[in-house]
Amino acid sequence: MAYAYLQLGQDREARRLIDELAAITKFSGGRTYGRDTGQAAPASRFVLERAAWSEALTLPVRTDVYAYAQAMPRFVRAVGAGKLGKPDVAKEEIAQLQALSKAAENSYWSEQIHVLVLAASGWHARAEGRNGEALKLMRAAADLEDSTEKHVSMENRLYPMREMLGDLLLETGQPALALQAYEASLHAAPNRLRGFYSAAKAAKAAGDSATARKYFEKLVALAKNADPERSEVQEARTFLTARP
Amino acid sequence: MPSRGALALVPLAIALSVLAASALWADPAEEAPGGAGVSAEYTLGKKAVEAKDWTSAIQFLSKAAVQDDRNPDLENLLGYAYRHIGRFAEAFRHYEIALRLNPRHRGAHEYIGEAYLMVNNPAKAAEHLAALKEICLIPCEEYADLEKAIAAYRAGHRK
Repeated sequence: MAYAYLQLGQDREARRLIDELAAITKFSGGRTYGRDTGQAAPASRFVLERAAWSEALTLPVRTDVYAYAQAMPRFVRAVGAGKLGKPDVAKEEIAQLQALSKAAENSYWSEQIHVLVLAASGWHARAEGRNGEALKLMRAAADLEDSTEKHVSMENRLYPMREMLGDLLLETGQPALALQAYEASLHAAPNRLRGFYSAAKAAKAAGDSATARKYFEKLVALAKNADPERSEVQEARTFLTARP
Repeated sequence: MPSRGALALVPLAIALSVLAASALWADPAEEAPGGAGVSAEYTLGKKAVEAKDWTSAIQFLSKAAVQDDRNPDLENLLGYAYRHIGRFAEAFRHYEIALRLNPRHRGAHEYIGEAYLMVNNPAKAAEHLAALKEICLIPCEEYADLEKAIAAYRAGHRK
């Protein structure tokens, strides 16, 4: 549900849901993987989907939950540190992620955490200016994620790694390749606010105004009831108004 | 199409009901990933491995494998148990099954590599070290452990 609110640009509703989930301390039935991931994922996505990196390092990590539920906020913290130009902090978080991958309950979750290790390492490399290495690691993360099944304990993937590959390609001045990555990601994970926004930005940077327009239109339609402060929606409306 | 106001009323109820009901819906493999597959035999087999009771581990895990022949973790554990009692042919067979089911299984690559060192086949151990390098891409514990084991083997055989 929080995922849906975030795709609609309704961050306040998502935040309210996250706060309500955090307030739940008693559950009926035994502890389950789905319960742990269900509690941890929304807060992690709330940072990722808004690219709110300044919030990443304050994201709490519970250690009394299954490995992937611990790994999600660790991943956000690692990516946030990389984005904020703090490679040493990112490195520490990646070490924690690797320990979680090693200690995971089975090889499936170990591999899913390894996806996060690779992607976080990509942003770490980017923070250190090793762009070639960054792209290699991020491609590996995207390929590995695409080669594995989503587990029923996760309503959706934490965040599409191919979309993150697109972000890295765009940041490193390769908008045409970024657009390809975003479009491939949207095929697997459709109707994503950041997916539409990023595809539009990449198309615009590649000089493809028609495609930029197509994705900005999709974004505006998806987020027609978005909170007013959502900057991606404002930017899309400005683009469409300027180029009727 | 419900209005945004109406939508705002339901998320907590849905979240609570999903969280509360998940124990009823989910299959045991999802809900107890420590025992993927999760037969009682598998759980007992894992406990026996932890207790280093290799004979019991093999008994329980072999029974579990009859019910679940698609579990690379189970096959890896069987390989590990057979390796510890020196039955290398069976150990290699189960490690190979684990790697056939999941060619990226880091634990199986590490342990089969170590098993190859035990039968004086460092070349095969090095193949699995190379595989781990490809899989991990960045330094990982399984790679480091096998690399250390290969180095120790080579040092021991230089004397």
